[in-house]
Amino acid sequence: MFITDIRKEFYEVVANQRVALLVASDVDALCACKILQSLFHCDQIQYTLVPVTGWQDLSTAFLEHREQFRYFVLINCGANVDLLEMLQPEDDSIFFICDTHRPVDVVNVYNDTQIKLLIKQDDDLGVPSYDDIFRDEEDEEGDDSGNESDDGSEPSGKRRRFDEVNIGHYWREILFDYEQYEYHGTSAAMMFFELAWVLTKDTKDMLWWAIIGLTDQWVHDKITHMKYVTDVATMQRHVSRHSHRNEDEENSLSVDCMRISFEYDLRLTLYQHWSLYESICNSCYTSCNFKLWTLNGQKKLQEFLADMGLPLKQVRQKFNCMDMSIKENLRDVIEESSNKYGLKDIRIQTFGVHFGFKNRFFASDMVHATAALLESTDKDGSDSDNFIKALESLSRSNLDRLHSGIDLAKKKLLAIQQTVASCICTNLILSQGPFLYCYLMEGTPDVNLFSKPMALTLLCKYLLKAFVHSTRNKRCKLLPLIMAAPKSVEKGTVIIVGIPPESEISDKKNFFGRAFEKAAESTSSRTLHDHFDTSIIELKMEDRSKFLDALITLLS
Amino acid sequence: LSNSDLIPSIKLRHCCLLRNQRCLVAYLYDRLLRIRALRWEYGSVLPPNIRFHMCSEELQWFSQYKKSLASFMRSLGAGEGLDITQDMKPPKSLYIQVRCLKDHGELEIDDGTVILLKKNSQHFLPRWKCEQLIRQGVLEHVVS
Repeated sequence: MFITDIRKEFYEVVANQRVALLVASDVDALCACKILQSLFHCDQIQYTLVPVTGWQDLSTAFLEHREQFRYFVLINCGANVDLLEMLQPEDDSIFFICDTHRPVDVVNVYNDTQIKLLIKQDDDLGVPSYDDIFRDEEDEEGDDSGNESDDGSEPSGKRRRFDEVNIGHYWREILFDYEQYEYHGTSAAMMFFELAWVLTKDTKDMLWWAIIGLTDQWVHDKITHMKYVTDVATMQRHVSRHSHRNEDEENSLSVDCMRISFEYDLRLTLYQHWSLYESICNSCYTSCNFKLWTLNGQKKLQEFLADMGLPLKQVRQKFNCMDMSIKENLRDVIEESSNKYGLKDIRIQTFGVHFGFKNRFFASDMVHATAALLESTDKDGSDSDNFIKALESLSRSNLDRLHSGIDLAKKKLLAIQQTVASCICTNLILSQGPFLYCYLMEGTPDVNLFSKPMALTLLCKYLLKAFVHSTRNKRCKLLPLIMAAPKSVEKGTVIIVGIPPESEISDKKNFFGRAFEKAAESTSSRTLHDHFDTSIIELKMEDRSKFLDALITLLS
Repeated sequence: LSNSDLIPSIKLRHCCLLRNQRCLVAYLYDRLLRIRALRWEYGSVLPPNIRFHMCSEELQWFSQYKKSLASFMRSLGAGEGLDITQDMKPPKSLYIQVRCLKDHGELEIDDGTVILLKKNSQHFLPRWKCEQLIRQGVLEHVVS
C-alpha cells in the first residue's frame, strides 16, 4: 500500500526499533541512504546497512537478517517484483520500499499489511484499479469484490492470487499493458529529503544529497526532461530557503560553510576539474553534435574555439589555471557561439556547492565521481568495498575519495568516447530490423569497464546519440539499441543492455525487460535476470545468437 | 702479575656487568609497562599471538595486575564498581556508526537481539557494545 503520511506511517513506526537497510548500488540509492542515516543518527535509531547489487543479493541479505529484524527498508529495489512471493517472510515482517523503478508490482500496491510503499501516489503511476485485476474466489455471488481493506474472507490480505477462472482475458491485457514498459519515478533521495523536511531536520548536507540523487537520474537518462525541470524547481525552492542567510552582509557566513547555489551551467562534464578542451571532447552533447570522431568534426571544433576567441593554449590548460578574464564570461560566450553552431541546449539547469576556498563542485561532477567509484574495476575491491568507498565520497570530509572518484570518472569518460568513436568508424552498429545491435569484442580496450551495468548503459546512450547524429538512414534513427559486452571470462557470460530509441520527446520507457524474458524463455537460453533494472541481463556467450534471433522475431 | 695489577680490569669488568644489568632491568621494566598498557588496550583476555611473546613470569604479573585493577574498580562508585577501562576518550554520542572489517558472526546486544557482523556491513549501535570489538579490530568507527 502507499503511505500517505510519511512521518506517522514510517518514521514514527521505526522510531524505537532496529531497522535493516537494504540499499541498491546506484548513486540515487546511496544519496537516499546518506539522508536516512543522518536522520537515524539524529534520533538514535539503530540500524544495519547492507548493500545489495541484485535480486540474489537481496534474497541472501534477507535470509541472513530475517531472524533479527522486523522492519526492513529497501532503497531503490523491491517495488517492481512481487516481494512477498520472492522473499517468503514471516507474517510480522514489514517492508518499507522507496524505489524509483516502475511499474510498481500490483501485489505490492494492494497488500495492506506487510508492504508499505514510500512513493507518492500521484507519481505518474497508472496502477490498474483493484477490481480490474483481482477477483476473490469466494465472491461468486457477484457482490462487491473491490473491498480490499475489510473483506473478512481474505486470508490476512497477504497474498492475492489471480483467479485463473476469470471470465475473459480482460485482466490479462490490462496487466500486460501496465507491466510492459519499464521507467523511473521520483528520486528516492528526494523522497527522504522530503521526510527530513517534514520533520524539520533537513540540513544543507541532506539537501545536497537530494540534489545529487536527482542529478543522477538526469545523467543516466532515467527521467524525462520535463520531470527533471519540475524536480529542479522543487529543489530550487529548498535551496532558496536554505540560502537566505548568505545575502545578509552583516552576518555573512564564513567561507568554510557550505553554500548551495542554483546554476544555469554548461553541459560539459567535469569541466571545472579538467581542461575545457578535454571536457568538450569527452562530453556526450558536444562530441555528438560536432561529430568529433571525424576529421571534419575536429576542424569544426577548432573553428568553434576560434570563434569564441579562446586561445588553444588556454583551453588545454587545467580549468582552474585559465585566465580569469576568460573564465568570467565563459558561459555566455560559449552559449552565444554554440547557438551559431547548432548546439541549442548547451546550458542546463543544475546546482553547485561551494565550501572553503578550493572546493567547488557541480552536482553532475559528484554523480560521475560516485558512479565511477561504485563500479570501479579495481582488482582487490569487492562490490561491497566499492559501495563503501562510494558512500564515503559523498561526505564533505572525504575529499580525497571524491577526487579519486573524479579521476576514475575522467578515465571512464575517455574510454567511452574512444569506444564510441571506434564503433562508429568501424561500423560496429548493425541494424537487425526492429533494433540496432552492437557487440564489444573481448580484446577491445577498456572492455572490462563496460562489464558493469551503469557504465555500459552510459556507453549505450552515448553511442546511440552519436549514431543518430552520424547516420543518414532515417529509419535507423528511430530504432532502439541493444548492446552486449563480455561480463565474466571464467563464466563465459556477456552483459546485455537495451535502451529505448533516441528522441527529443522521449518518455524514456523501456520495453526490453519483458522482451528479454520472453526471448530467453522461448529459446531456453541460460540467462540471469539479476539486476533491478529488467532491461539489463547476463547471458551465456554461446546462447547469444539464438537469443538475438528470438528477439528479432519477437519485436518484428 | 700481582693482585694489585688485576684490580683495574676487575673494576672495568664489574662496571660492565653493572651496566649490562641496568640495561636488562630497564628493558624488563619497559616490557612491564607495555604489558600493563595491554590490559587497557585489549581487555582482560589477551590474544594468543601476544601471549606467545610473553614469558610465564610476565603472564603471572599480568594476571596479578588484572586482579588488582579489578579490585580497585570494584571499590569505586560507592561499592557498586565502575569499569574505568570503558570510554577512554570522552564519548560524543550514545550510539556510533561502525563498519565491520571481517566476518565475526553474531553479536548479542543488551535487549537480547542478535546482529550479524558480516564484512563491509555497517551498523549503528550503542557505543559500549562496540568498544571492545573496535579495539580488537573487528569493527571500525566510521566518522562522517
